[in-house]
Amino acid sequence: MFLARIGGTVVPAAKHETLDGCRFLVAQRLEADGSAGAEPLVLIDWLGAGDGSTVLVSTDGDIARERYGNTTPARMVVVGILDEVQTPNSIGRSA
Amino acid sequence: MRLGIVRGHVTLTPAVEELMGKTLVVLEPVTMANLVAKNGLGGGKSLVAVDALGAAKGQMVAFTEGTEAANPYWPTRVPVDAYCTLIVDSITTGNTQTKQHEVRQ
Repeated sequence: MFLARIGGTVVPAAKHETLDGCRFLVAQRLEADGSAGAEPLVLIDWLGAGDGSTVLVSTDGDIARERYGNTTPARMVVVGILDEVQTPNSIGRSA
Repeated sequence: MRLGIVRGHVTLTPAVEELMGKTLVVLEPVTMANLVAKNGLGGGKSLVAVDALGAAKGQMVAFTEGTEAANPYWPTRVPVDAYCTLIVDSITTGNTQTKQHEVRQ
């Protein structure tokens, strides 16, 4: 699991049949110093994370398989929206 | 999932039975800088993924990596570790929207 900051949304032209009605967000992985990863990630979200939210992402596909069936390729899922992180050089509060 | 631009297709002769009939695409992962710049460039290390959606050359897709990439073929076990899960129509980041046709070069 890791923290990521939501940066936008994806509108699919086509998607795997198990993912009808899913919400896809663009996010960047956050490092401990607060810097963002170079490559954007596409996440599945059903909690309602918005632009600028910091979220906890699970890369285990089991929760997606439970929701979308055994044949879903979904993997990265928003499993929580961040309230606060406490580290010596804190990533800070969610926007 | 990461984002990638389809750069080409791969055909194999021969291939293991589990890959027969599957479309393989060469993907170039897209960095955040290139996505925001809308320059049609990727910037990541290219890889090969299975595509069942019919993505064309130049289109942007989101692809799943890892064992989950083989899930669509469950319960058959296949040697697939990257799978095109969606084709992008548009991406909105901040207040800019990238449409599919802007990705193509």
